[in-house]
Amino acid sequence: MIVRRRLVLGLGLSTLMTLAAGCSDADLTGPIVYEEQPALTREVEGKAHLAGKPKIQAKARKALEKLYGPAPKEIHVPEGAPLTKDESGRLGMLLANFEQTPEGPKKLDHAGGYGLYRRHCLHCHGVTGAGDGPTAPFVFPPPRDFRRGLFKFTSTPNGARPDRDDLRRSIRDGLHGTSMPAFEALLTAAEMEQVVDYVTFLSLRGETELALIEEGFIGDDEDEDALGDDVVAELVQGVFGKWEDARDAVVNPPSPRTPPSPESVGRGRDLFLGRTKEKLECAGCHGAKGLGDGPSFVEVGVFNRVVFGGDPSKMPERVAKLDDKTRELWKQKLDEWGNPLRPANLTRAVYKGGRRPIDLYWRIAKGITGAQMPAHYPGIDQAQIWDLVNFVLALPYQPELLDEPSTAGVTAEAPAVRR
Amino acid sequence: MRYWSLIFALAAAFSVGAFAYAPFSADWWLPNPAGEPRHVVSTFGREIDALFVIILWLTGAVFVGTHAALIWAQFRYADRVDADGKPARPAQYFHGSQRLEVVWTIIPAGILVFLALYQMDTWANIKFRSAAPRTPVLAELTGRQFQWMMKYPGPDGRLNTPDDLFTVNDLHFVKDRTALIHLKSADVIHSFFLPQMRIKQDAVPGMTIPVWFDCDRAGRYELACAELCGWGHYKMRGDVVVHETEREFQEWQAAKLAEQGRSQLATAPGDPGGDEK
Repeated sequence: MIVRRRLVLGLGLSTLMTLAAGCSDADLTGPIVYEEQPALTREVEGKAHLAGKPKIQAKARKALEKLYGPAPKEIHVPEGAPLTKDESGRLGMLLANFEQTPEGPKKLDHAGGYGLYRRHCLHCHGVTGAGDGPTAPFVFPPPRDFRRGLFKFTSTPNGARPDRDDLRRSIRDGLHGTSMPAFEALLTAAEMEQVVDYVTFLSLRGETELALIEEGFIGDDEDEDALGDDVVAELVQGVFGKWEDARDAVVNPPSPRTPPSPESVGRGRDLFLGRTKEKLECAGCHGAKGLGDGPSFVEVGVFNRVVFGGDPSKMPERVAKLDDKTRELWKQKLDEWGNPLRPANLTRAVYKGGRRPIDLYWRIAKGITGAQMPAHYPGIDQAQIWDLVNFVLALPYQPELLDEPSTAGVTAEAPAVRR
Repeated sequence: MRYWSLIFALAAAFSVGAFAYAPFSADWWLPNPAGEPRHVVSTFGREIDALFVIILWLTGAVFVGTHAALIWAQFRYADRVDADGKPARPAQYFHGSQRLEVVWTIIPAGILVFLALYQMDTWANIKFRSAAPRTPVLAELTGRQFQWMMKYPGPDGRLNTPDDLFTVNDLHFVKDRTALIHLKSADVIHSFFLPQMRIKQDAVPGMTIPVWFDCDRAGRYELACAELCGWGHYKMRGDVVVHETEREFQEWQAAKLAEQGRSQLATAPGDPGGDEK
């Protein structure tokens, strides 16, 4: 009887302990660490990499750890980083929940960008900001990989780093037509600044890592001076400099929007269709009816079949099954991150980067960083850009603008939308 | 063993006590404005709460009655043994009592019929399409994973024209005026939920559902999605702002429209960047 009771007790205790251990956060997730760029250790075709250079790899890792901290739970902020200073002038205080003091870590009275990022952003954008969180495979377009410092919807020239306002706007208003939600009602203004800082921090870290790989790629593993402190400092300054320059590079249209008169809309339509001497090729991508189905891109049906036609991880297999011509076109129409692109359907009045005239001006004048939408300024002047903006804003309400043959039934204020 | 019944008695007493205490605590009771824990801000809210309280009293009475009987039976009959150490009243099988069955079927059925008839007016007022107020539409709300997209008619008062105002997670209307919205969904089933106004309506893909409500206190409230519509479901939180006057609402709309029409960064001296809302 006693033996049986002990057996039951032992069984019960071991079950309880297993459950308790199994439920612990640490056991489930393991330590939270930054993910390394594949090129740090492996050969990547056509790109700089550090395969076969263990000493340089170690130096790069050490430099990153020294600059940005060993793990997301211990954040270091490099001197001079383009991040916000708090009220007392300390740099990077918006990032973490804890401050390192001589007595040990002290909890701050705010969540910190790291904590907020973990709660709201990590499941798509990933711990390292590589756009590889657990929900990432289920959304299209895929979440942004922050590690190259490139962001699509900015007010700065094509390829330049975003201005702080651009990141703030994306977080606050979301990106329409994508899975990026608006956080205006979820975060306070101060919290949003913390998230902007943390995203910037992840970008700076990722860009530094890439710069170290590129620099190490041309170095000799046996060279003691390769990736020396001076070189690293210079690389980091280069990374910071790009972010610091962004504020001054913001494009402000020299003149306000041309009133959306029928004439202006008509001029915009002619530009769109390539009927002007500038021979713009908007219709080539966005389609003759603005439906986003131009001949420069893979057919919509094929695109949908490949992108949405099953397990996202098996997309390469579906691409491989395409005929040679389509496959070639597919390869040409990827964005900087290697994701398939689709031109916007302009008849739906969904504008990812914002619907304000200034947002559309930015998209047309300076293109979309990382995507195939090119900068059109100074190819066309700002008055022509406003004409195009007026046309794009009128199209959802006047689809007849692109009816052929168009007999210029253009009115600025159409009575109703057809969608 | 009979003292086990006291544990059940304690649990029942705690449950009843919690409900008795709840109306006096802003955190425990239904969501009402801070400082006015017993004031429901909307007309429908007051009706819904009255129904809720009636149901609470009815179920509360049944709960207390059944638990009293249960605890009494446990306490009275457990552990009773005769001189030989056998149970004084051994359990016996019997086929059942038709009279009892009829009684405990008719009583709840009667209660349910009463509730069904009693709440009909409220339901019709809140949900029937024919009861929709004859007022212009305040906005069209489209739920999508994971936000509420709002489209207000612009100065021309008509939806789907170029002067429409678009916002995200930001619902505005005027105090003491019935607001009528058209609810849609772009993807899955969402649930439009205004907890303080006690309004909840599913948004179903392919349907346009009219929803109407009001509020008698200006202020800031909450809009949530009450459907588990996906991983980011909690992100579908919106702000509801009830304006004191129509003029205040118009001013808000004008400011938003001005921002929506922005074509340059502010260049006025002293303006900090001009890209702030």
